[in-house]
Amino acid sequence: MSELFKKAANSINVPEIVELKNKGVKIVGHTCSFVPVEIFYAADIVPVRLRGIETESMSIGDAYYGPFVCSFPKAVLQQAGKGGFSFLNGVVITSGCDGMRRLDECWRKMSTDFEGTMPGLFTFLDVPHKPHDVALEWYESRLRKLIKTIENHFNVSITDEKLKNAISFQNKIRVKIRELTDLRAENPVFITGTEAFEALIARTVLPADIFLEELSRLIEEVKNRKEPVSDGRKRLFVTGSICDDIGLVEQIEEKGAIVVGESVCYGMRNTTEMVSETEDPVSALASHYLSGSICPRMFGYYEARRDAIISMVKETGANGVIMQNIRFCDLHGSENGLLERDFEKEGIPSVRIEKEYGPLTDKGRLRMRVDAFLEQIGRKRRSFSA
Amino acid sequence: MRPELKEYALDLLFARSFEIARKTARSSEKERTYLMKTVPYISGILEPILEQGKPAITFIELLCDYYTNIVNAKANGKKVVMTTFCFDPTIFYAFSNLVPLTLEVGSVICSFLWKRGSFDFMDFCTEVGFSETGCSAQRGTLGAYLSGTGAEIDMVAINMGGVCDTNGNAYSFAAQYLGKPFYGLDYPSELTSNEVADYHHRDFRNLIRFIEDNGGGDFDIDRLRELLNEKIIQDELTNELEELQRLVPNPVPGLFHMMIYACRYTWTGDKKFTRLLREMVEVASKNAAKGISGLGKEEKCRALLIYIDNFAFNAGMFQWFHNNQVSHMGNLLTRFFPHNAPYRRDVPGTCYRIDTTDLDTMIDSLADINARMPMTRTIRGPYDAPNMWFEDSLSLAQIYRADCCIYNGTPGCRNTWSNVKLIMRDLERHGFPTHLVYADAFDGRVESWETTATRLDEFFNIRGLL
Repeated sequence: MSELFKKAANSINVPEIVELKNKGVKIVGHTCSFVPVEIFYAADIVPVRLRGIETESMSIGDAYYGPFVCSFPKAVLQQAGKGGFSFLNGVVITSGCDGMRRLDECWRKMSTDFEGTMPGLFTFLDVPHKPHDVALEWYESRLRKLIKTIENHFNVSITDEKLKNAISFQNKIRVKIRELTDLRAENPVFITGTEAFEALIARTVLPADIFLEELSRLIEEVKNRKEPVSDGRKRLFVTGSICDDIGLVEQIEEKGAIVVGESVCYGMRNTTEMVSETEDPVSALASHYLSGSICPRMFGYYEARRDAIISMVKETGANGVIMQNIRFCDLHGSENGLLERDFEKEGIPSVRIEKEYGPLTDKGRLRMRVDAFLEQIGRKRRSFSA
Repeated sequence: MRPELKEYALDLLFARSFEIARKTARSSEKERTYLMKTVPYISGILEPILEQGKPAITFIELLCDYYTNIVNAKANGKKVVMTTFCFDPTIFYAFSNLVPLTLEVGSVICSFLWKRGSFDFMDFCTEVGFSETGCSAQRGTLGAYLSGTGAEIDMVAINMGGVCDTNGNAYSFAAQYLGKPFYGLDYPSELTSNEVADYHHRDFRNLIRFIEDNGGGDFDIDRLRELLNEKIIQDELTNELEELQRLVPNPVPGLFHMMIYACRYTWTGDKKFTRLLREMVEVASKNAAKGISGLGKEEKCRALLIYIDNFAFNAGMFQWFHNNQVSHMGNLLTRFFPHNAPYRRDVPGTCYRIDTTDLDTMIDSLADINARMPMTRTIRGPYDAPNMWFEDSLSLAQIYRADCCIYNGTPGCRNTWSNVKLIMRDLERHGFPTHLVYADAFDGRVESWETTATRLDEFFNIRGLL
């Protein structure tokens, strides 16, 4: 168990970040897993993934966004408007999806009404919707543009050497996350999904060195545990829309299951593949981040994503899959429909759940759906071994 | 889906309906009056369209040809490419064996023509796993093709990556569900730099390779030149109509807008479309010479639709405009941004220019046109268009002397619903009363047309516009 990860996963104001900020370290927020964090570390800047947790209303989010929009970007805007991100020196918005892309306009407009909510650097990283050929070249050129922007704004120099060092350090983290993933795939399993998911979320908001140290400690602790947590529990895999909702995993586990993996933003997705340390560092980052992420925003690559998810489901020995999507997330909403069909062909039980992001207003309904699903797979229980 | 719907091939149904409608051109007034009594379910849409005179018949002929080509594609040895309305279809017509099929045009026809709209097709999409929150513009007919009620699709090619997730998502879902090859052009969040232009051009060349690999037809360079030259004429005629709209009263009938964009999405570069535009210019010019409005009566107010039209049964919105003497000043779908358009703002890189010098310049021109299609250009951003389509909306409202602006769209549109409140606020600040319609342009179940009309009444009355 890691108190540090628990705290980091459950609050916007992470003390370790605040401390660094007070020491003069620059902190930059970003909105998407397509943003290579190595670029920031190479500039001695700490990147933090923006989240919408701890929002108690959508009074600001709803004032700028319309009603038919996913609640995640609204919650991020709400946090920004309330001053929740006042510790940031900069923000990088991406074209992750339409709702997130439009966070750019909404945040700029909101900052004219709420003083002090616009960070010093507010910029955009364009991410193509396909991973190959001209799109890959375009993405690489955007990364180089982002590097220039950071260099100019913060008066720093991002050299190839610094980038390679940052890549090397992140690769060490990737090795450890692979270890964590393998531990979750064991049967019996000695780590709960809640603990593991907290660690994965913490990765996106903690400074890399602190994270690596704590993750290494957690892994050693888990290896020494004597009592499995999975005994007799059904093993579930979670996939779908962006999710940093520890509460969802907790609820599933409270109902008697164990979450052994998740292919969601903030989860296991694209966390264990290595970035080449021999190639030109920007090219290596471009091909890793653009080709490796299995997000349905990449139109026309469903089969690759499905195969990757099925392989993760099998590797983790899951008995079933919970496919969640935030309402108005059409990308995952539709992809979950295709996955449902293909899981069925593979004999993998699955359930689709649509929900809102943020405070678990849907708690009762979700518990009932999870309960019913567990009952259903209890009748024809099977697991998949790699 | 109701089994009886599967008894009728959708494209065939469209083709036959337009086939019958085009014959009314040869009817006398007495025959037409009698006809309207015998077709109560479609007279509501047929009558206002036929009232537009010669252009109406050409318009109906074009739609008839479009769907007849789709119906006969296989028999004629042609392949059907499913594509989106924002994709300029010229490239498909430059191949000897391709027939484009645009979902959104079919969705409009269903909504206009049938009281039941396209609800069954939309629901079928949900049945097979597609998100119910996806845009109804695609779902309106997508369900027909997914269920095998429409033509067999051979490939899918679109230009929505980076523009509209929900649109791109619908087409990639279709390709996956039907097991067909897919190509998506990608658009960055900026438009005007040389770097972006180069990206567009290279991506478009890859698209042509994809079509060659999957279509097996011959790419006809002379045909492409012919189509592009025709497009130059069409752009000039469209510009003429735009110029005429600056007059007060506006001499251009409201339904012309819908006819222009429907044909621009389906028949661009075709000579019959040029004929349609000529006929429209003739009608509007005559109105202008007489100093009368396209409404055929006094113009009381001028409304700019800042997004799309409402396609309620029997062209309800157009009829409401007509009945209330409000001139329709066009919408986002009617503006294509050629370099010589009267509404262009001289910002470098925002418009396209057609260059037929050689194959390379023609392909570059096509890539440039596609990057500036309605929606593809207008709701892109944020970089080099940091307020999304606010500046476009404001300049159009000012150029065409609109008295008010109306946003009407679909709840499936994440892009515009993410920004419309900001745009509305700024348009109001610039003195343009702006109304936000919460209906779905293609789905009367979200808000009935009668409710939408009541809210329009309220808006126009409360803001003192009528």
